[in-house]
Amino acid sequence: MSNPYSRRTLLSVLGTALTGVLAAPLARTAKAAVTNVLASTGAADGYDPTQHKWVMGIDVNNCIGCGLCAEACKRENHVPEGPYYRTWIERYTITKPKPGSGNARGETVVESPMGGMNGFKDPKVPKDEILHSFFVPKLCNLCEHSPCVQVCPVGATFDSPDGAVLIDPKYCIGCGFCIQACPYGCRFLSPKTHTAEKCTLCYHRTTKGLKPACVEICPTQARVFGDLKNAEPDDPIRKFYRNNKLQALKPHLGTEPRVMYAGIDKEVR
Amino acid sequence: MPHRFHLPPQVLRIVLLAAGIVSSYLVARYFLTPPSFRQYGFYRGAALLELGDREPVYAGRKECVSCHDEAGAKLAGHEHKNLSCEACHGPGQAHAANLDVKPVALNFSHCVRCHEANLSRPKWHKQIVSKEHYPGSKCTECHRPHSPNEVP
Repeated sequence: MSNPYSRRTLLSVLGTALTGVLAAPLARTAKAAVTNVLASTGAADGYDPTQHKWVMGIDVNNCIGCGLCAEACKRENHVPEGPYYRTWIERYTITKPKPGSGNARGETVVESPMGGMNGFKDPKVPKDEILHSFFVPKLCNLCEHSPCVQVCPVGATFDSPDGAVLIDPKYCIGCGFCIQACPYGCRFLSPKTHTAEKCTLCYHRTTKGLKPACVEICPTQARVFGDLKNAEPDDPIRKFYRNNKLQALKPHLGTEPRVMYAGIDKEVR
Repeated sequence: MPHRFHLPPQVLRIVLLAAGIVSSYLVARYFLTPPSFRQYGFYRGAALLELGDREPVYAGRKECVSCHDEAGAKLAGHEHKNLSCEACHGPGQAHAANLDVKPVALNFSHCVRCHEANLSRPKWHKQIVSKEHYPGSKCTECHRPHSPNEVP
Protein backbone atom coordinates (compact mmCIF):
# COMPACT_ATOMS: atom_id res chain seq x y z
CA MET A 1 0.00 0.00 0.00
CA SER A 2 1.29 3.47 -0.74
CA ASN A 3 2.22 5.74 2.09
CA PRO A 4 -0.43 8.49 2.39
CA TYR A 5 2.38 11.01 2.91
CA SER A 6 4.65 9.86 0.06
CA ARG A 7 6.55 12.25 -2.22
CA ARG A 8 4.13 11.37 -5.03
CA THR A 9 0.98 12.42 -3.12
CA LEU A 10 2.63 15.57 -1.84
CA LEU A 11 3.72 16.60 -5.34
CA SER A 12 0.33 15.91 -6.86
CA VAL A 13 -1.45 17.93 -4.14
CA LEU A 14 0.99 20.82 -4.55
CA GLY A 15 0.64 20.63 -8.34
CA THR A 16 -3.16 20.83 -8.15
CA ALA A 17 -2.95 23.79 -5.77
CA LEU A 18 -0.53 25.62 -8.08
CA THR A 19 -2.77 25.02 -11.09
CA GLY A 20 -5.69 26.36 -9.09
CA VAL A 21 -3.82 29.53 -8.16
CA LEU A 22 -2.74 30.06 -11.75
CA ALA A 23 -6.21 29.33 -13.10
CA ALA A 24 -7.93 32.00 -10.97
CA PRO A 25 -6.81 35.06 -13.02
CA LEU A 26 -7.42 33.12 -16.23
CA ALA A 27 -10.95 32.30 -15.08
CA ARG A 28 -11.54 35.94 -14.17
CA THR A 29 -10.53 37.09 -17.65
CA ALA A 30 -12.64 34.39 -19.24
CA LYS A 31 -15.59 35.36 -17.06
CA ALA A 32 -15.28 39.01 -18.02
CA ALA A 33 -15.32 37.98 -21.68
CA VAL A 34 -18.40 35.80 -21.19
CA THR A 35 -20.34 38.41 -19.21
CA ASN A 36 -19.49 41.10 -21.74
CA VAL A 37 -21.21 39.03 -24.36
CA LEU A 38 -24.17 38.06 -22.19
CA ALA A 39 -24.95 41.28 -20.38
CA SER A 40 -23.60 44.72 -21.13
CA THR A 41 -23.95 47.13 -18.23
CA GLY A 42 -25.31 50.64 -18.71
CA ALA A 43 -23.18 53.66 -17.98
CA ALA A 44 -22.91 54.82 -14.39
CA ASP A 45 -24.53 58.22 -13.90
CA GLY A 46 -23.70 59.04 -10.30
CA TYR A 47 -27.15 58.10 -9.02
CA ASP A 48 -27.05 55.94 -5.90
CA PRO A 49 -30.30 53.98 -5.50
CA THR A 50 -29.62 53.27 -1.83
CA GLN A 51 -29.77 57.00 -0.99
CA HIS A 52 -33.39 57.50 -2.09
CA LYS A 53 -36.81 56.13 -1.30
CA TRP A 54 -39.38 57.30 -3.81
CA VAL A 55 -43.03 57.13 -2.93
CA MET A 56 -46.32 58.39 -4.34
CA GLY A 57 -49.48 59.58 -2.67
CA ILE A 58 -52.87 60.08 -4.31
CA ASP A 59 -55.31 62.72 -3.10
CA VAL A 60 -58.62 61.62 -4.59
CA ASN A 61 -60.28 64.87 -3.49
CA ASN A 62 -58.11 66.66 -6.04
CA CYS A 63 -58.58 64.33 -8.99
CA ILE A 64 -60.74 65.89 -11.72
CA GLY A 65 -60.53 62.90 -14.05
CA CYS A 66 -58.96 64.82 -16.93
CA GLY A 67 -56.92 61.78 -17.94
CA LEU A 68 -53.71 63.72 -18.56
CA CYS A 69 -51.73 61.37 -16.31
CA ALA A 70 -52.80 58.24 -18.18
CA GLU A 71 -52.07 59.91 -21.50
CA ALA A 72 -48.69 61.23 -20.34
CA CYS A 73 -47.72 57.79 -19.01
CA LYS A 74 -48.57 56.18 -22.29
CA ARG A 75 -46.47 58.69 -24.22
CA GLU A 76 -43.58 58.85 -21.79
CA ASN A 77 -43.11 55.12 -21.52
CA HIS A 78 -44.07 54.18 -25.09
CA VAL A 79 -46.77 51.89 -23.73
CA PRO A 80 -48.25 49.79 -26.57
CA GLU A 81 -51.46 50.95 -28.23
CA GLY A 82 -54.62 49.28 -27.02
CA PRO A 83 -55.81 48.32 -23.57
CA TYR A 84 -52.39 48.52 -21.91
CA TYR A 85 -51.84 51.04 -19.15
CA ARG A 86 -49.17 51.55 -16.54
CA THR A 87 -51.39 54.07 -14.84
CA TRP A 88 -55.07 54.68 -15.39
CA ILE A 89 -58.09 56.34 -13.83
CA GLU A 90 -61.17 54.59 -12.56
CA ARG A 91 -64.45 56.25 -11.82
CA TYR A 92 -66.41 54.95 -8.88
CA THR A 93 -70.09 55.77 -8.84
CA ILE A 94 -71.94 54.67 -5.73
CA THR A 95 -75.72 54.75 -6.04
CA LYS A 96 -78.22 55.66 -3.37
CA PRO A 97 -79.78 52.63 -1.64
CA LYS A 98 -83.25 51.53 -2.76
CA PRO A 99 -85.86 53.13 -0.51
CA GLY A 100 -86.89 50.74 2.23
CA SER A 101 -84.01 48.35 1.54
CA GLY A 102 -82.34 49.19 4.84
CA ASN A 103 -78.97 49.51 3.16
CA ALA A 104 -76.64 52.41 3.79
CA ARG A 105 -75.42 52.51 0.20
CA GLY A 106 -76.48 51.15 -3.15
CA GLU A 107 -74.42 49.52 -5.86
CA THR A 108 -70.93 50.45 -6.94
CA VAL A 109 -70.27 51.06 -10.64
CA VAL A 110 -66.63 51.18 -11.73
CA GLU A 111 -65.66 52.39 -15.19
CA SER A 112 -62.41 53.20 -16.91
CA PRO A 113 -63.04 53.87 -20.62
CA MET A 114 -59.67 53.79 -22.42
CA GLY A 115 -58.02 53.89 -19.00
CA GLY A 116 -59.54 57.34 -18.57
CA MET A 117 -56.97 58.61 -21.08
CA ASN A 118 -59.51 60.69 -22.99
CA GLY A 119 -61.44 61.86 -19.95
CA PHE A 120 -64.90 60.83 -18.83
CA LYS A 121 -68.45 61.66 -19.82
CA ASP A 122 -71.12 62.04 -17.15
CA PRO A 123 -71.89 58.74 -15.40
CA LYS A 124 -74.66 56.64 -16.94
CA VAL A 125 -76.40 56.41 -13.61
CA PRO A 126 -79.07 59.19 -13.44
CA LYS A 127 -77.97 62.17 -11.36
CA ASP A 128 -80.61 61.80 -8.65
CA GLU A 129 -79.60 58.18 -8.00
CA ILE A 130 -75.93 58.98 -7.34
CA LEU A 131 -74.71 59.06 -3.78
CA HIS A 132 -71.04 59.68 -4.56
CA SER A 133 -69.05 59.71 -7.76
CA PHE A 134 -65.31 60.25 -7.85
CA PHE A 135 -62.15 59.43 -9.76
CA VAL A 136 -59.40 57.15 -8.46
CA PRO A 137 -56.04 57.19 -10.24
CA LYS A 138 -54.42 53.76 -10.16
CA LEU A 139 -50.86 52.63 -10.61
CA CYS A 140 -48.41 50.12 -9.18
CA ASN A 141 -48.98 50.23 -5.43
CA LEU A 142 -45.26 49.74 -4.69
CA CYS A 143 -45.90 46.99 -2.17
CA GLU A 144 -43.52 46.40 0.69
CA HIS A 145 -44.26 42.67 0.33
CA SER A 146 -44.86 42.43 -3.41
CA PRO A 147 -46.68 39.27 -4.50
CA CYS A 148 -45.38 39.83 -8.04
CA VAL A 149 -41.77 39.67 -6.88
CA GLN A 150 -42.38 36.52 -4.85
CA VAL A 151 -43.77 34.54 -7.78
CA CYS A 152 -41.21 35.44 -10.45
CA PRO A 153 -39.44 32.17 -11.29
CA VAL A 154 -36.36 33.79 -12.83
CA GLY A 155 -35.65 36.71 -10.50
CA ALA A 156 -36.53 39.21 -13.21
CA THR A 157 -38.74 41.40 -11.05
CA PHE A 158 -37.49 42.94 -7.86
CA ASP A 159 -37.90 45.69 -5.28
CA SER A 160 -35.25 48.22 -6.10
CA PRO A 161 -33.51 49.88 -3.12
CA ASP A 162 -35.05 53.25 -4.04
CA GLY A 163 -38.63 52.06 -3.75
CA ALA A 164 -39.68 51.08 -7.27
CA VAL A 165 -40.77 47.57 -8.20
CA LEU A 166 -38.98 46.95 -11.47
CA ILE A 167 -38.70 44.33 -14.20
CA ASP A 168 -35.40 43.39 -15.77
CA PRO A 169 -36.48 43.03 -19.42
CA LYS A 170 -33.41 40.93 -20.23
CA TYR A 171 -34.35 38.33 -17.62
CA CYS A 172 -38.15 38.32 -18.00
CA ILE A 173 -39.34 35.22 -19.85
CA GLY A 174 -42.92 36.44 -20.23
CA CYS A 175 -44.52 33.62 -18.25
CA GLY A 176 -47.17 35.93 -16.80
CA PHE A 177 -47.10 34.66 -13.20
CA CYS A 178 -46.55 38.18 -11.90
CA ILE A 179 -49.51 39.47 -13.90
CA GLN A 180 -51.77 36.98 -12.15
CA ALA A 181 -50.17 37.61 -8.78
CA CYS A 182 -50.62 41.39 -8.76
CA PRO A 183 -53.82 42.04 -6.77
CA TYR A 184 -54.07 45.55 -8.22
CA GLY A 185 -53.94 44.57 -11.90
CA CYS A 186 -50.96 46.78 -12.53
CA ARG A 187 -49.04 44.53 -14.89
CA PHE A 188 -49.55 43.43 -18.47
CA LEU A 189 -47.76 41.33 -21.05
CA SER A 190 -46.46 43.66 -23.73
CA PRO A 191 -47.47 42.55 -27.23
CA LYS A 192 -44.29 44.23 -28.50
CA THR A 193 -41.60 42.76 -26.26
CA HIS A 194 -43.52 39.72 -24.92
CA THR A 195 -42.27 40.55 -21.46
CA ALA A 196 -44.22 41.80 -18.47
CA GLU A 197 -44.41 45.57 -18.13
CA LYS A 198 -45.51 47.87 -15.37
CA CYS A 199 -45.11 51.29 -13.80
CA THR A 200 -41.42 51.91 -13.14
CA LEU A 201 -42.15 55.13 -11.22
CA CYS A 202 -40.66 56.63 -14.40
CA TYR A 203 -37.27 55.32 -13.36
CA HIS A 204 -35.56 57.10 -16.27
CA ARG A 205 -36.97 60.40 -14.96
CA THR A 206 -36.58 60.00 -11.20
CA THR A 207 -32.91 59.04 -11.54
CA LYS A 208 -32.38 62.30 -13.46
CA GLY A 209 -34.11 64.40 -10.81
CA LEU A 210 -37.42 64.74 -12.67
CA LYS A 211 -40.83 63.80 -11.32
CA PRO A 212 -42.68 60.89 -12.96
CA ALA A 213 -44.63 62.01 -16.02
CA CYS A 214 -48.03 61.52 -14.36
CA VAL A 215 -47.02 63.66 -11.37
CA GLU A 216 -45.43 66.31 -13.57
CA ILE A 217 -48.56 66.60 -15.71
CA CYS A 218 -51.27 66.41 -13.03
CA PRO A 219 -52.94 69.84 -13.07
CA THR A 220 -54.43 69.59 -9.57
CA GLN A 221 -51.62 67.92 -7.59
CA ALA A 222 -53.79 64.88 -7.00
CA ARG A 223 -50.59 62.89 -7.33
CA VAL A 224 -47.88 63.69 -4.82
CA PHE A 225 -44.38 62.35 -5.22
CA GLY A 226 -41.36 62.56 -3.00
CA ASP A 227 -38.18 61.05 -1.64
CA LEU A 228 -38.74 59.86 1.91
CA LYS A 229 -35.00 59.67 2.61
CA ASN A 230 -34.38 63.31 1.65
CA ALA A 231 -37.75 65.06 2.10
CA GLU A 232 -37.75 68.26 4.12
CA PRO A 233 -40.77 68.89 6.39
CA ASP A 234 -42.26 71.28 3.81
CA ASP A 235 -41.90 68.77 0.97
CA PRO A 236 -45.27 68.00 -0.69
CA ILE A 237 -45.06 64.33 0.33
CA ARG A 238 -44.51 65.22 4.01
CA LYS A 239 -47.43 67.65 3.87
CA PHE A 240 -49.54 64.96 2.22
CA TYR A 241 -48.75 62.52 5.03
CA ARG A 242 -49.30 65.16 7.70
CA ASN A 243 -52.55 66.66 6.46
CA ASN A 244 -54.49 63.59 5.35
CA LYS A 245 -55.95 60.47 6.81
CA LEU A 246 -54.54 57.81 4.57
CA GLN A 247 -55.65 54.44 3.39
CA ALA A 248 -54.01 51.70 1.32
CA LEU A 249 -55.84 49.60 -1.27
CA LYS A 250 -56.75 46.04 -0.22
CA PRO A 251 -54.95 46.23 3.13
CA HIS A 252 -56.29 42.79 4.08
CA LEU A 253 -53.87 41.18 1.62
CA GLY A 254 -50.89 42.22 3.70
CA THR A 255 -49.00 43.62 0.72
CA GLU A 256 -48.26 46.86 2.62
CA PRO A 257 -48.55 49.24 -0.34
CA ARG A 258 -46.40 52.36 -0.20
CA VAL A 259 -48.86 54.22 -2.45
CA MET A 260 -51.31 55.78 -0.03
CA TYR A 261 -54.70 57.22 -0.89
CA ALA A 262 -56.45 60.15 0.74
CA GLY A 263 -60.20 60.57 0.49
CA ILE A 264 -61.29 57.21 -0.90
CA ASP A 265 -64.48 55.41 0.00
CA LYS A 266 -64.58 51.90 1.36
CA GLU A 267 -65.78 50.59 -2.02
CA VAL A 268 -62.44 51.35 -3.67
CA ARG A 269 -60.45 48.19 -4.25
CA MET B 1 -3.69 0.30 10.34
CA PRO B 2 -3.24 -0.17 6.60
CA HIS B 3 -6.17 1.88 5.32
CA ARG B 4 -7.85 4.52 7.32
CA PHE B 5 -10.33 5.61 4.65
CA HIS B 6 -11.42 2.64 2.64
CA LEU B 7 -14.09 3.56 0.09
CA PRO B 8 -15.80 0.74 -1.77
CA PRO B 9 -15.39 1.40 -5.55
CA GLN B 10 -19.13 1.83 -6.21
CA VAL B 11 -19.37 4.51 -3.53
CA LEU B 12 -16.25 6.19 -4.91
CA ARG B 13 -17.85 6.30 -8.36
CA ILE B 14 -20.99 7.91 -6.99
CA VAL B 15 -18.96 10.43 -5.01
CA LEU B 16 -16.88 11.30 -8.08
CA LEU B 17 -20.00 11.65 -10.24
CA ALA B 18 -21.65 13.90 -7.65
CA ALA B 19 -18.47 15.96 -7.33
CA GLY B 20 -18.36 16.28 -11.11
CA ILE B 21 -21.97 17.47 -11.32
CA VAL B 22 -21.56 19.94 -8.46
CA SER B 23 -18.30 21.35 -9.80
CA SER B 24 -19.67 21.75 -13.33
CA TYR B 25 -22.66 23.56 -11.81
CA LEU B 26 -20.33 25.81 -9.83
CA VAL B 27 -18.21 26.54 -12.90
CA ALA B 28 -21.31 27.31 -15.00
CA ARG B 29 -22.71 29.55 -12.24
CA TYR B 30 -19.41 31.37 -11.95
CA PHE B 31 -19.35 32.14 -15.64
CA LEU B 32 -23.04 32.81 -16.21
CA THR B 33 -23.84 35.03 -13.21
CA PRO B 34 -23.69 38.69 -14.28
CA PRO B 35 -21.17 40.74 -12.28
CA SER B 36 -23.87 43.03 -10.84
CA PHE B 37 -26.01 40.15 -9.57
CA ARG B 38 -26.50 40.52 -5.79
CA GLN B 39 -25.21 44.09 -5.94
CA TYR B 40 -28.46 45.20 -4.27
CA GLY B 41 -30.34 41.92 -3.99
CA PHE B 42 -31.20 38.73 -5.81
CA TYR B 43 -31.30 40.41 -9.23
CA ARG B 44 -29.05 42.10 -11.76
CA GLY B 45 -28.02 45.48 -10.35
CA ALA B 46 -27.15 46.72 -13.83
CA ALA B 47 -30.84 46.48 -14.73
CA LEU B 48 -31.40 49.63 -12.66
CA LEU B 49 -28.97 51.57 -14.83
CA GLU B 50 -30.42 50.17 -18.00
CA LEU B 51 -33.97 51.07 -17.00
CA GLY B 52 -32.85 54.57 -16.07
CA ASP B 53 -30.93 55.03 -19.29
CA ARG B 54 -33.64 56.53 -21.52
CA GLU B 55 -34.56 60.01 -22.71
CA PRO B 56 -37.68 61.50 -21.13
CA VAL B 57 -40.53 62.65 -23.37
CA TYR B 58 -41.83 65.32 -20.98
CA ALA B 59 -39.19 67.89 -20.13
CA GLY B 60 -40.68 69.17 -16.88
CA ARG B 61 -41.68 72.70 -15.93
CA LYS B 62 -38.18 73.69 -14.76
CA GLU B 63 -36.80 73.00 -18.20
CA CYS B 64 -39.61 75.00 -19.88
CA VAL B 65 -39.26 77.98 -17.56
CA SER B 66 -35.48 78.06 -18.02
CA CYS B 67 -36.18 79.71 -21.42
CA HIS B 68 -39.82 80.84 -21.15
CA ASP B 69 -39.37 82.64 -17.83
CA GLU B 70 -41.98 85.28 -18.75
CA ALA B 71 -44.66 82.58 -19.07
CA GLY B 72 -43.63 81.10 -15.73
CA ALA B 73 -43.77 84.54 -14.09
CA LYS B 74 -47.22 85.17 -15.59
CA LEU B 75 -48.57 81.93 -14.16
CA ALA B 76 -47.42 82.70 -10.62
CA GLY B 77 -50.09 84.27 -8.45
CA HIS B 78 -52.95 82.87 -10.51
CA GLU B 79 -55.12 79.82 -10.25
CA HIS B 80 -53.01 78.01 -12.85
CA LYS B 81 -49.78 78.55 -10.88
CA ASN B 82 -49.22 74.86 -10.17
CA LEU B 83 -50.02 73.71 -13.67
CA SER B 84 -47.31 71.99 -15.65
CA CYS B 85 -46.62 73.74 -18.97
CA GLU B 86 -46.87 70.41 -20.73
CA ALA B 87 -50.37 69.76 -19.38
CA CYS B 88 -51.68 72.16 -22.05
CA HIS B 89 -48.78 72.49 -24.49
CA GLY B 90 -47.99 68.80 -24.80
CA PRO B 91 -44.72 66.94 -24.32
CA GLY B 92 -41.75 69.25 -24.74
CA GLN B 93 -38.49 67.33 -24.45
CA ALA B 94 -38.10 67.16 -28.24
CA HIS B 95 -38.54 70.95 -28.39
CA ALA B 96 -36.16 71.53 -25.46
CA ALA B 97 -33.47 69.40 -27.07
CA ASN B 98 -33.91 70.91 -30.53
CA LEU B 99 -35.59 74.30 -30.85
CA ASP B 100 -36.50 73.63 -34.47
CA VAL B 101 -39.05 71.08 -33.28
CA LYS B 102 -42.12 73.16 -32.43
CA PRO B 103 -44.58 72.02 -29.78
CA VAL B 104 -48.03 71.12 -31.11
CA ALA B 105 -50.36 74.05 -31.83
CA LEU B 106 -53.23 74.29 -29.38
CA ASN B 107 -56.93 74.27 -30.14
CA PHE B 108 -59.36 74.67 -27.27
CA SER B 109 -59.92 71.02 -26.41
CA HIS B 110 -57.37 71.32 -23.60
CA CYS B 111 -59.52 73.91 -21.77
CA VAL B 112 -62.67 71.79 -21.62
CA ARG B 113 -60.63 68.70 -20.88
CA CYS B 114 -60.47 69.93 -17.31
CA HIS B 115 -63.28 72.50 -17.14
CA GLU B 116 -66.20 70.70 -18.80
CA ALA B 117 -68.83 70.05 -16.14
CA ASN B 118 -68.93 66.47 -14.91
CA LEU B 119 -70.91 65.05 -12.02
CA SER B 120 -67.90 63.08 -10.80
CA ARG B 121 -65.60 66.09 -10.59
CA PRO B 122 -65.03 67.58 -7.16
CA LYS B 123 -67.19 70.60 -6.35
CA TRP B 124 -64.28 72.97 -5.71
CA HIS B 125 -63.19 72.67 -9.33
CA LYS B 126 -64.51 75.41 -11.69
CA GLN B 127 -66.61 73.81 -14.41
CA ILE B 128 -68.73 74.98 -17.32
CA VAL B 129 -71.18 73.32 -19.69
CA SER B 130 -69.54 74.29 -22.97
CA LYS B 131 -72.79 74.01 -24.94
CA GLU B 132 -74.40 76.62 -22.70
CA HIS B 133 -71.35 78.73 -21.83
CA TYR B 134 -71.11 81.23 -24.74
CA PRO B 135 -71.23 78.60 -27.48
CA GLY B 136 -69.34 79.49 -30.63
CA SER B 137 -66.86 81.84 -28.97
CA LYS B 138 -63.26 81.05 -28.18
CA CYS B 139 -62.23 80.61 -24.54
CA THR B 140 -59.46 83.24 -24.96
CA GLU B 141 -62.00 85.92 -25.89
CA CYS B 142 -62.84 86.17 -22.19
CA HIS B 143 -60.12 84.18 -20.37
CA ARG B 144 -56.34 84.35 -20.32
CA PRO B 145 -54.98 80.83 -19.88
CA HIS B 146 -51.75 82.02 -18.21
CA SER B 147 -53.54 84.41 -15.86
CA PRO B 148 -57.13 83.19 -15.51
CA ASN B 149 -58.00 85.78 -12.85
CA GLU B 150 -57.50 88.64 -15.31
CA VAL B 151 -59.97 89.72 -17.98
CA PRO B 152 -58.52 90.71 -21.35
